[in-house]
Amino acid sequence: MITTEKLNSYITKIPPAPQALRDTLHLLNLGDLTKAAKIASDDLALNSYLKNLMHKSIYGFRNEVSDISQIFGILGVAGSQQAVYNYMISLLSPSKWVLFKLNATAFQNLQAELSVNWKKILAHLNINDKDIQSAITLLPASIIISEALFSEKIENVKLLRSASAIDLNTILKRLCGMDLFDICEKISQKWEMQGNIAKIVQAASGIKPQDDKNIDMLGKWMHLLLFYTLSKPSLVEAGLNDFIDFQVEYVMDIYDDFSSVIGVS
Amino acid sequence: MRAMVKDGIAIFAPQGFLDGNNGNFFLSIEDIEATTKLKVDMVLVSLKKVVFFNRNGLETFVKMLLKVRAANHATVGFCDIDHKKFEAISRFYENDLNFSLFKTQEIASLFAASFKNQSKNVLVYSEDKSQRAAMAIELHDNGHNPIVAQSEAEYHEKAKAQNAYDIIIDNTYLGVMGQKVATRVTGNAIIYTVSSFLDAEIGNTFNIAYHNNSLNVGFRLFIFDAYKVVSMNVHALNFFSKLASSGAEYNAAICFVGLTFEKTPIAFKETLEDAGMLFFDHMDDILQNKELLHELGASSAAAVKNKRALNKAIVTELPNFIDATVATIEMMTNATANKETAKVCTIEIIDKEDKIASSIGFYGDIDGMVVLVFPLSIAKKACALLIGENTDDKEQVLDTLAELVNIVGGKIKTLLADEKISVNITLPRTYTDVDGLLEVVHDKKGVQLDLKFDDDKFLFFLTR
Repeated sequence: MITTEKLNSYITKIPPAPQALRDTLHLLNLGDLTKAAKIASDDLALNSYLKNLMHKSIYGFRNEVSDISQIFGILGVAGSQQAVYNYMISLLSPSKWVLFKLNATAFQNLQAELSVNWKKILAHLNINDKDIQSAITLLPASIIISEALFSEKIENVKLLRSASAIDLNTILKRLCGMDLFDICEKISQKWEMQGNIAKIVQAASGIKPQDDKNIDMLGKWMHLLLFYTLSKPSLVEAGLNDFIDFQVEYVMDIYDDFSSVIGVS
Repeated sequence: MRAMVKDGIAIFAPQGFLDGNNGNFFLSIEDIEATTKLKVDMVLVSLKKVVFFNRNGLETFVKMLLKVRAANHATVGFCDIDHKKFEAISRFYENDLNFSLFKTQEIASLFAASFKNQSKNVLVYSEDKSQRAAMAIELHDNGHNPIVAQSEAEYHEKAKAQNAYDIIIDNTYLGVMGQKVATRVTGNAIIYTVSSFLDAEIGNTFNIAYHNNSLNVGFRLFIFDAYKVVSMNVHALNFFSKLASSGAEYNAAICFVGLTFEKTPIAFKETLEDAGMLFFDHMDDILQNKELLHELGASSAAAVKNKRALNKAIVTELPNFIDATVATIEMMTNATANKETAKVCTIEIIDKEDKIASSIGFYGDIDGMVVLVFPLSIAKKACALLIGENTDDKEQVLDTLAELVNIVGGKIKTLLADEKISVNITLPRTYTDVDGLLEVVHDKKGVQLDLKFDDDKFLFFLTR
C-alpha cells in the first residue's frame, strides 16, 4: 500500500524554490520590501496568487489592491514571507482532489484562514519572528502530500477507516512511519527553514512535546488553531476535520485566551 | 461521519468546534440513514474531543438521535461530558431534554442491554430524585447493584470509599424520563418558582396547560415560591386572580410563599385573598405542618362541568400505555405480568383494603390520565429496589410510587414520541387510600385493565 519509499519520493518531488522566489524570500528576510516586490513582480504566477489572496474576505479590504509593492507593504515583512511560502505550497496542490473534497480556492482559503489567525495569535503572544509566522504554512503543505499518498489507495483507506475509529494521521504513521507533522518537518528542511520551526510544528501534533516551554506553548496554540480552522463547514465537508486526533486536554489551559484572541462566540 | 460500533453501542466522535454553521456538515443524509439501520442498543455522540459547542451545533446530532430512536428504539444521547458540558446541555434543552447524557462511555455501557459485564457495584447520584430512581431501576434491571445517594452530602461521603464501588455515576441523565416543570414534594403539593418582576409576561411563561392537567390528575395544592419576587403589577395580579378562580372549580388551594409587599401594593394581597389565594411567610409553614398540608392538598370532588370522554386517538395508543406500565412494574418487582381482563367502564375497585394509588396526566397531541392502583405489597417491593431495604413508612412508599409512576409517564412519552405523537406529562399524584382516588375519578369513564404480578393483583386505568 503506502510505503516509506513512496512517501519519500513525494517529498523529493517538492520543487525547491525557484530562483526568483528564493531571491524574494532572501530580500524579505533582510527586510527590503521594495526590492523584494520588484523581483516578485517578475513572477506572473506569484503576482496573480498574491492579488487573489488579498481579495479573500478574511483580509477585509474594500478596495482592489493590485500592486505587489502595495501588497507587501500591507502584509509587512513577516506576512509577505508567509504569503510567498503559501504560494510555493500552492504549486504542489493537485489539480483534482480525491480523498479530501477540496479545490484550489478552498485550499487557498484554508491557507489564508490559518495565516491570518496565526498572525493574531503571535501578536497576542508578543512574538515578532518571521520564521515562526511562516511555520503555519507547513501544515497545508503536508495535507497536499497526504492527499497525494492516500488518493492512489482511496478504497483501502476507506475500508481501513470503516473497520476502526482510526484517524488518517495514524494510518499514515503506521504505514510509512511518518505522520503529518513529520512530513511538515521534512518540508521545512527541504526549504531550509530554521530548526525550531520543525519543532513548533511537531509540538502542534499535541502528542510530541519538545521539552521547550516556549516551543510547546506555540505548539499548543497551533494545535488549537488547526482544529478551529478544520471545524469550518467547508473543511468538515472536505473530510479534514478528522484527519488528525484532537488532543483536548493539551489545549484546555489556553482555550479561554484563544477564544478571545480569535473571537470564538 | 459514520459511527463506530462496539458491543452494541454506536458512537459518533466529532471533534473541534461544533456550531450552527458546521453542525450540518458532520452528518450527511446517508450517515443518518445508515445509523437508523444499525442493530444497536445505544447510539451516542461523544463530546470528548469537542472543545466548544452551542445548541445550534448540537441540533444536527439531536435530530439524528431522535430519528434513530424512532426507527429502532435505541437509547440515544451524548457521552463523555464533564460537569461544564452537562450543565450547558441541560441549560440548552431545559424543557426538552428527551435524550440521555452520560458522563463517560463506561457509564453509558451499564445502561446498554447487551452489556455483558454485569454485577457492578454502582454508586448513583443525581440532583433530580426521579433521575436517581430511574437510574437505579435501569441498573438493577441490567444486573447491577445500584447504591443510591439521596443527597449531595451523602454522595460525597460515600464516594470517598472509592474501593467500595466499581463505578460512580454523576453528571448523567436518562432521557426517557419526563421533563421537569415543577417540583413535587411529599403531600402532593406542586411548587412553582417565580422571580424578579411579575408582569404581563407571566401569562406567556407560566405553563397553563401543565397546571390544568395537574388539576385534572388530582393535584389540589399549588405553591408559588415567591421569595425572589421583587414586585408585581396589575397584569400579573389579574393573571393570578384568574388562576385562583379557575382553581376554585377543583377546590384547589393556591398559595404564595415569601412574597413581600414593599414594592407591591398591599391592596393586591387583599384582591388575591378575595380570589382565594393564601399567603405564607415561609415554605416550612406549609410543608412542616402535616395537618395543614393534608387539609390543603386533600382530594376533593371536582365540580367540573365538562366531563371528557375517551376518544379513538387515545384508545388506539392503549398498547403503548400498557407496555410502558407493565415493563416498568416488571422491572421494579422482578415479576412477570399477566394481563387478565380489559373493559371500558368507570373505575371498579372491589377490594379497597391495603391499596394505594397514583396517577399521572399527559397532554399535548393527545391528553388523558393513567391511574395505577397498587396493593401495598407491590409498592413495598418497588421501595426495596429503590431504597435498598424494606420499609413500612407509608410516606416513603408513596414517594417511591410517585417515582415509579413518573417513570411510567416518561416511558409513555418516549413510546408515543416514536409514533410522532408529542405529549408532556404532569407530576405524579399519589393517594394514601383508594377513597381519595375515587373522589377524583369515580365518575370518569376509561379503560380498566386488571393485571396480575405473581399473586398480586394490580389495576391500570386510562381515562381523560
